[in-house]
Amino acid sequence: MQVRWLLPAGIGATLVVQVAHAAQYMSVEQAQRAAFAQATQFAPVAVAIDAAAFGVQPGWKPLVWRALKDGETIGWFFEDAVIGKSELITYALALDAAGKVTSVEILDYRESHGGEVRLAAWRNQFKDKTPADAVALDRDIRNISGATLSCRHLTQGVHRLLQLYAHVLAAKP
Amino acid sequence: MNSVRRARPWLGTLVDIRVDAMDEACAVRAIDAAFAEIATVHRLMSFHEAGSDLARLRHARTGECLRVNARTHEVLDWSLRIAQACDGAFDPCVATMQVALGVLPVPESSFVPDARASWRDIELLDGERVRLRRPLWIDLGGIAKGYAVDRAIEVLRAHGVAQACVNAGGDLRVCGPNPECADVRSADGVVFPAIELVDGALATSASSGAQHLYGRTREAVTAGITVSVAAPTCIVADALTKVVLAAGESVRTMLCVFDAYAWMHDSRHGWQSLRLAA
Repeated sequence: MQVRWLLPAGIGATLVVQVAHAAQYMSVEQAQRAAFAQATQFAPVAVAIDAAAFGVQPGWKPLVWRALKDGETIGWFFEDAVIGKSELITYALALDAAGKVTSVEILDYRESHGGEVRLAAWRNQFKDKTPADAVALDRDIRNISGATLSCRHLTQGVHRLLQLYAHVLAAKP
Repeated sequence: MNSVRRARPWLGTLVDIRVDAMDEACAVRAIDAAFAEIATVHRLMSFHEAGSDLARLRHARTGECLRVNARTHEVLDWSLRIAQACDGAFDPCVATMQVALGVLPVPESSFVPDARASWRDIELLDGERVRLRRPLWIDLGGIAKGYAVDRAIEVLRAHGVAQACVNAGGDLRVCGPNPECADVRSADGVVFPAIELVDGALATSASSGAQHLYGRTREAVTAGITVSVAAPTCIVADALTKVVLAAGESVRTMLCVFDAYAWMHDSRHGWQSLRLAA
């Protein structure tokens, strides 16, 4: 290991370590291919959302695609965004045909005031969460109290999309 | 060849992995494998998850030998080594107090933990077995994230990656010949390069309220302090941030023992080095 401290000692009473920069990770198309390598088509799905029923601001409009292989639904793909501490996080959620989470990928991370110095954190995960877990939202959120704000908001975002799947999409032919 | 970068939510934060100078398909495969390893560490060492090794230990009888995953055993081993080196300023058993303070939620357990229990009551045996001499709850939140970062770097290397960075919300490790820079920023958003790192790890922790407890007394450490530690591995860097937060300048010798460097920041003194890098 080699390490060099570049600031003079005593400097920077107001400086804090920046732990995350704005970053672009994947395009929607890249994330779709990564989530469903065998898909032959991603068909956009128009969804009508009752904002109040989902506990979100009016205007919440995640993008939804049906992943198809030779005309058969093999899963669902969502693009949505959440606000972290001050940053906008665009992310993609993939569900298999039964509504089970297969991947959560960050697409884009934009911040206005630098990163968050994280607290002791060790919490939630997304894999294998199904809409039935949504009733456990309160417990989950409490359980990730040590998690960073962006991680908590992302968890809430995933839960919202699982609700959307359960109440709107699962019944679609 | 460009860098390939992915981020996924794990370990209670957004984990960012970047691989440089590698064919894209190979880099993606390496990154997927590294995330799978991080997920495994997460599941094994989560304080809450029912199937985690820590949850299983909360259902073990006092004195019972319980077999845990080799990774959990390794992290416990590091925890005890560090707890011993700082005479308990860092203690993975402060969880009981953190639950009492509401920092951690009440976990499921078949016993009431003994408030006097400490790291000295955790016994590591051959064959990846653990024995608790007193009823106690273990939280590896202060160290397992760094371990997950180290494991991810090892997986990337095993996939032939030469230059990479794994960053779990500020606990990061870089491998390869090229230096990485960690920045600091001022309140008005100006960014300055602060730490240049080659083949090493950097972790940062800030104290606020009861999030960090002094292991020996179970009292909250002084709020408003930020500590950054550079070390060869992220598990050491991660754990030592907690030691420095708890014990301050008295840790200089320990930093040398673990080949680590530390910088402490508060609003009155700005950044101070606890052990100068060459």
